[in-house]
Amino acid sequence: MKTLLAWILWLWIALVIVGALWWAPPLPGFQAGPDSSRIVYFHVPMAWTSFVAFLAAGVFSALYLKRREPRRDAAATAAVQLGLAFGLLALVSGMIWAKIEWGEFWNFDPRQTTIVLALLFYTAYLVLRLAVADHETRRRLAAGYAVFGLVVAPFLFFVAPRVLGASLHPEPVINAERELKMDPAVLWVLLSGSAAFTALFFWMHSLQCRLAAIARRNGLEA
Amino acid sequence: MSSWLAEAAAVFAKDWRAELRTRFALNTLGLFAVTTLVVVSLALGPIGGSPNGPSVLSAVLWLILLFAATAGLPRLFVAEEETHTATALRLAATPSALFTGKLAYGLVLLLALEAITTPLYLAMVQLPVASPGLLVTVLAAGAVGLAAASTLVAVMVAQARARGTLFAVLLFPVLVPLLVMAVALTRQAVSGEPANVGLLPLVLYDASVIVAGLMLFPAMWNP
Amino acid sequence: MPAIEFHDLHRRFGRVRVLSGVSGGAGAGEVLLVTGANGSGKSTLLRCLAGLLAPDKGEVRMTVGGRVLEPAERRRAVGYLAPDLAFYEPLTTAENLAFFARLRGVDPGRGAALLDWVGLPHDRAAGALSSGMVQRLRWAWALLHWPDVLLLDEPLANLDPPGRKLVSQLLAEQLERGAAAVVANPAPIDLPGSVRRVELAG
Repeated sequence: MKTLLAWILWLWIALVIVGALWWAPPLPGFQAGPDSSRIVYFHVPMAWTSFVAFLAAGVFSALYLKRREPRRDAAATAAVQLGLAFGLLALVSGMIWAKIEWGEFWNFDPRQTTIVLALLFYTAYLVLRLAVADHETRRRLAAGYAVFGLVVAPFLFFVAPRVLGASLHPEPVINAERELKMDPAVLWVLLSGSAAFTALFFWMHSLQCRLAAIARRNGLEA
Repeated sequence: MSSWLAEAAAVFAKDWRAELRTRFALNTLGLFAVTTLVVVSLALGPIGGSPNGPSVLSAVLWLILLFAATAGLPRLFVAEEETHTATALRLAATPSALFTGKLAYGLVLLLALEAITTPLYLAMVQLPVASPGLLVTVLAAGAVGLAAASTLVAVMVAQARARGTLFAVLLFPVLVPLLVMAVALTRQAVSGEPANVGLLPLVLYDASVIVAGLMLFPAMWNP
Repeated sequence: MPAIEFHDLHRRFGRVRVLSGVSGGAGAGEVLLVTGANGSGKSTLLRCLAGLLAPDKGEVRMTVGGRVLEPAERRRAVGYLAPDLAFYEPLTTAENLAFFARLRGVDPGRGAALLDWVGLPHDRAAGALSSGMVQRLRWAWALLHWPDVLLLDEPLANLDPPGRKLVSQLLAEQLERGAAAVVANPAPIDLPGSVRRVELAG
């Protein structure tokens, strides 16, 4: 069953890639290299997945604080690690696109800043884990930090960008469903891409958790 | 309820009593802030009147406060762990009362710091203030959020290694929303130009952090 | 009747298994004496009992008045004494105890009375106490709130012979009023009350 699901996922991703690179049209309004705008089909899903990871880390951490099962903490850690990976890819893909389109890697765009801050947060979480020697204390403190981050997240993702002002990103960014004027093909690929990346995240997450469980069983964990 | 308040007051009083006898935090924080202030002002010059002045100077003021907090606030809990008094506290105090007492102490330190640093700063960079009432409000509201977030992060850092740098690393990402709002509102207070945000989100942030701190602290402080 | 019991406690630090399934308990008026070589887990055990450390596996139950206490309640209910328990050095002995009395909601005069009992000056800064005097202060601190369970890690350390006699008397009184005690010490010591001994292997 798991193998079947994995195959479906790979097929889906392959379809998304085909759709992104050939089937869907490039985004209108991008002069510098119309085909380079196809990067959006990967950039947006990866940013979206990074935020899903943030949420997952917070939820698993809260669950761990409720009942101290090591696997809940392992799930939170895995979510943060993957969130960092997807977030980095989202940032880099965005920066490459920005360089092609507007000539600069960094534009002080609020959304760009927000994802950098999310990455800083993930990194801080992982650094905290490294800085605590005792396993029980480490899990507890990391969980607290992740929940704290979740509490502050709405301010980080919604209030701060508003304060910082004008954005290169089209208004609503992550949730493309509200942009009804979008070409349906574009919308299709964006949504299926987001779904694919989210599924990919959960699949990789489950692998990380299984690895952690094996390590725990064999007394190899930190 | 009244015993909870009595506990928080006892913690606050104890910290102040110890502080007044050693004057450690007041000296460190105060000296740090004034030194940073002087260095920064000399580096920037009296740019208060220039077009970008208010923006730059609002940001720099909050950076000074942030760095002073990073220098002075971790010891709220690091000192307890280092002197091994944390064990006695863990066994005797109600966690939420302890958090509140420490938060109050840190807040008073920050407010005292702001009261001394801000006028000096404004004078040195020659920055006129359009609405002093708003400035005082922003400084107070910002101090509350800064103190609350710092208290929670301090208790985490006190149980870890590499405490000095770790504190800043953990605090900055969660404090950014506060900084962004406080700087924007400070600029408004100073220049008169309306910011993209009102006081409400800042107050909401403060409330969220205090509630989060109260709920998370017991699990961070005790196993 | 107050009692403390623990079942199958496990605790590791990194890869080192310090507690590997230790059980025991003490009822009212009883003393459980835990001995063992350095590093055998005596202090770790007492910390787990006090709620200062969470065991990886196993259970700690403290019963007072027929009710099992929550960990947070247990933490505040025990009378704990250990070599690394320290006080606020800028504050005097009396101020230290008054602070903790306020935290515990105990009559502030109790601290002064206990200081007299253990023979300590009221106005000496805690930072200026000799190690024997600090140990007496620890005893005063541990008994501040009339605890029903005493967790004593090396209770006679640093004490001169009069001091040892004094605290043995204190302990006997507590046991007589129905407290239970778990005492940890590297070597066996003479204790009042009905004593059971358990030796921790390293």
